[in-house]
Amino acid sequence: MTQTTRREVMALISGALAGATLGGPAFAQGAPKRGGILRISAPANPSSLDPATGGAGSDHAFLFTMYDTLTEWDFETLKPKPGLAESWSFSDPTTLVLNIRSGVTFHDGTPLDAEAVKFNLERNKSDPKSNIKADLAAMESAAVTGPLQVTVKLSTPDAALPGILSDRAGMMVSPAAVKASAAGNVARTPVGAGAYTFVSWADGEKIVIKRNEKYWKPNRPYPDGIEFSIIPELTTGSRSVTAGQNDLMYQLPPRQKAIVERASNIKIFNGPTLYVFQIFLNWAKPPFDNIKVRQAFNFAIDRETFVKAALASLAEPAYMNLPKAHWAYDKSVAGLYPHDPDKAKKLLAEAGFKDGLPIELVGYPDQDSVQRQEILIEQFRKAGMNVRFLNAPIAEASAAFFGAEKRGSGILAAWTGRPDPSLTYSLMFTKDAYYNGGRGAVPPELEAAIKESRASEDIELRRKAFATVQRLVMENALVAPLAFQFELVAMNKKVQGYRPNLLGKPKYDDVWLES
Amino acid sequence: MARRSPTRVIGGRLLQALPVILLATFMVFALLKLVPGDIAVTLAGDNATDARITEIRKIYGLDRPFLVQYGAWLANVVQGDLSQSLLTGEKVATSISRAFPNTLLIVAIALVLALVTGIPMGVIAAIKPDGWVDKTVSLIASLGVAIPGFWLAMILVAEISLKLNWLPATGAKSFSVSPIEAIRHALLPGIAIAAYGMAEVARQLRGSLLEVLSSQYVRTLHAKGLSMTRILWQHGLKNVSVNLFTIISILVNRMLAATVVIEAVFAIPGLGSLIVRGAIQRDFPIVQGVVFTMVIVVILVNLIADLLCAAVDPRIEQ
Repeated sequence: MTQTTRREVMALISGALAGATLGGPAFAQGAPKRGGILRISAPANPSSLDPATGGAGSDHAFLFTMYDTLTEWDFETLKPKPGLAESWSFSDPTTLVLNIRSGVTFHDGTPLDAEAVKFNLERNKSDPKSNIKADLAAMESAAVTGPLQVTVKLSTPDAALPGILSDRAGMMVSPAAVKASAAGNVARTPVGAGAYTFVSWADGEKIVIKRNEKYWKPNRPYPDGIEFSIIPELTTGSRSVTAGQNDLMYQLPPRQKAIVERASNIKIFNGPTLYVFQIFLNWAKPPFDNIKVRQAFNFAIDRETFVKAALASLAEPAYMNLPKAHWAYDKSVAGLYPHDPDKAKKLLAEAGFKDGLPIELVGYPDQDSVQRQEILIEQFRKAGMNVRFLNAPIAEASAAFFGAEKRGSGILAAWTGRPDPSLTYSLMFTKDAYYNGGRGAVPPELEAAIKESRASEDIELRRKAFATVQRLVMENALVAPLAFQFELVAMNKKVQGYRPNLLGKPKYDDVWLES
Repeated sequence: MARRSPTRVIGGRLLQALPVILLATFMVFALLKLVPGDIAVTLAGDNATDARITEIRKIYGLDRPFLVQYGAWLANVVQGDLSQSLLTGEKVATSISRAFPNTLLIVAIALVLALVTGIPMGVIAAIKPDGWVDKTVSLIASLGVAIPGFWLAMILVAEISLKLNWLPATGAKSFSVSPIEAIRHALLPGIAIAAYGMAEVARQLRGSLLEVLSSQYVRTLHAKGLSMTRILWQHGLKNVSVNLFTIISILVNRMLAATVVIEAVFAIPGLGSLIVRGAIQRDFPIVQGVVFTMVIVVILVNLIADLLCAAVDPRIEQ
């Protein structure tokens, strides 16, 4: 906090006095308490409450509360750890054995056993409405090999699978609920095995969930329930927290931080995430079909300044698609593109653009995006590139760039993290990937390296494989990463136990409310 | 010419509304389809592939020709089904019936406030034109027209909700569950929209009242020795009431439009928020449903205003 209010000074003094007289710590956080309703301001209506058919990355903030996943991840590094599957192993590179935790039931009482897991994996892999078929592309079959054991056969080695099972593909839906609903549609009637059970969903307005009394994690969850108010206007959302109508808001915009901090009843948590602002490039057409132009483009960006000016220093400069805290981060790649406008000019001259180069990029028209654009335009200008932004609303802009139209040479957008980095790379840097805007050819050694990153489950081997992938992506300058946005969560001081995570999609596992 | 019966008039007007509804929904549909970016990409999810997007288009019928899609929507509407959100599967009729009361309450409060403040302002300004009262009213009215509603809304929230904590800053409550809470939630947005309405009512009323008061029959009334109060209330206001009904109908329509922005500022899940969400996500059944509802509301408001005008002024031909 930048400013200390009078009330806080008083609190500090009285706290210090109490600490001195009682001889105990002045600010001991009490033991977690059960009870209370956690009221959250959520920025987006979910696309669906069925993990298999939903589409938006913002859905997870709701899904994680109602569905538990086969694997979970470490909050700080995203390393996979046991979830509904208490252990897993590759008996050979194409066979994954999952051992399911005993005694877990879905909200409707259906046992969560091997049959239920097999049902879910097969539904995710082959239901026509499933959006996560690609996540399970390597899965050939799933077989029940014990009451609590599922054996997954793969067509090719896929070490990313344990990580993938911590996301949508690993969220277990009650088979009984799916079978009972018309056309297997549980988008509005979710039944999972998570910490909270579904109560109601009014589109664009409110989602209410209550504690799952039979939850398998001891003493969890603490609150009696959660009420999500859907408030798309982020300024309004943060006002609802300062006014005390909500207890917590995630995705607080950096520019709002100073304003919200003025309220004495609010605290703000932040931490790095995988959410990265970046310029996707179309390397199938001029000028970015020339590697020297792409490299010059990357040398032209002053990421440190960008973070300070555009993101109020609440971000980490990005030199690749993984932040420092990630288990697969490779330090040596980070040094490839220091800010060097002279080098950029030299590369441009070598590419035949001695007298400067006009570049058209696609962008979004909102206030924050335009501010980012203005900062970048100036940085590129200094390196001899005359960048112009063609702005359109998100849906239009991204369809125009990634879809058939091929508008612009790049798009200033963002990439939300994936639980396993191999997904991030294969979704952007393979020939036919949708997020390879130009569907341009990819260096064969990169395609091979992405494959290699999925070949072994040994984390050290994978780390090495990802180092190669990252190096090849950046040496070829197939993207211009800018900054990893911090997760900013504003909450009432009575909210305890919240921890940010690296994925940047909030989980409320240990949250409790002080009365 | 003999006057037609009111039922025939209403019937005729509703019949005339049909082409308006068709044209409005068709144009909005066309606009949504002309802009690049469709919901298939959203529906296909974060890990979308080209193949998956094509598949989604097929599943949801988005690959059919534009006119066929509009026709399909229209066919459903004729059967009384506004279809459902492509994204979340919620019935559009459900969304609208939940959102509409919230919007209606704001507009109702705004209208009442605008009239309660605007009418006296217009009247006292017209009694002594160009006096200091008139000038003050003019100033307030100019401010009311000039100040953007969303700005006023934010100032109101900052002062009345956040500083004084008198009224809630965001959200809405159901009127049928707790009327008082519902009004408390709708009061600030209502005030924010009412400012413009107040100014408009005051200005228009002053103008038309001045015209009436300077007419010859009013001079006669003066000559007959009638008091100013009686002239004003019995003759003046009755004669400007036609104008007033027209102003009200225009105001209601404008206020409905203004809720789009105001609802965003106050996070009120009303029709405005609904249509914005639908448009951003290219969820066309939602947009179509809201446009359809709005058109009907506007037509009804105009119809009621016309009937009222005809009731107070027999000279108006229906």
